[in-house]
Amino acid sequence: MVGLDPLIHAPARLQLVTTLSGVSEAEFATLRTALDVSDSVLSKHVSALVDAGYLHSRKGVHGGRRTTWVGLTDDGRRALRDHVAAVRRLIDMVD
Amino acid sequence: MESNPTHPDPDDARATLAMADEARGRLTAGLRLPPGFLVVFAAAVAVQLGTAAYGIAAQTVAGLAVVLAGLAVFLGGSALLLHRFSQVNGVRVDGLVSQIVLAAGASASLVYLGALAAGIWAAFASRWWLVVLAAVVGGVGCALGTRHWWRTYQHEPAAHARGASPRVLALLAVVACVGFAVLLVVG
Repeated sequence: MVGLDPLIHAPARLQLVTTLSGVSEAEFATLRTALDVSDSVLSKHVSALVDAGYLHSRKGVHGGRRTTWVGLTDDGRRALRDHVAAVRRLIDMVD
Repeated sequence: MESNPTHPDPDDARATLAMADEARGRLTAGLRLPPGFLVVFAAAVAVQLGTAAYGIAAQTVAGLAVVLAGLAVFLGGSALLLHRFSQVNGVRVDGLVSQIVLAAGASASLVYLGALAAGIWAAFASRWWLVVLAAVVGGVGCALGTRHWWRTYQHEPAAHARGASPRVLALLAVVACVGFAVLLVVG
């Protein structure tokens, strides 16, 4: 049985990966607006999760300006699925 | 909200999951198909179907050129539509790419293949009004299939966001070109 994943347990990180699970890639500013966080906070979480292999990022263009596109990797998708399942098990145990 | 990864409070955990789902909902609920998206898509499919039927029945080099020109119109139109979607929404959804380029989904695939078969038969019989009708029906059918997929996606984005990778799609485009060429030669 897979347990909680400390890398995506923090609410901001869980929101980030959950949001990305609904698309293939999102542009940085679009993601920042959806998550309602600052550039620096989002950038920090993205970097940490890219280093962990949960996200991939690439430079691109959006609306005529250079920007960063971010998406979940297969490992990230698996980690999210396992983490959410572990959280739900925990909730069910208490209920 | 503080949360301890080793001993999380169940209420906090429940709230955290709900907030994460809300964040995803904020992003996906705001996504829109650009104006005219489905109309242009239906027209691109209709052009591709009509030219394929004509070209295959013609069985000439000019016919092959017509088939390839139709494919180019379809692929170019699809690429423009997907680029516009990405520009408007700031996201890329591979499930939509598969839906557009591959007519993925049982009903869209059946409509496409049925329209292609009917169009080819009509072209061999020189019933050109039927070729046009089959192409239009195929285009509208694929567009309706995409609209249906889009509604399903918005209801359950995580389950439908994924699709074929750009590399696989490029490979399939090449296979489609070769397939039409073979149909033309042996048809």
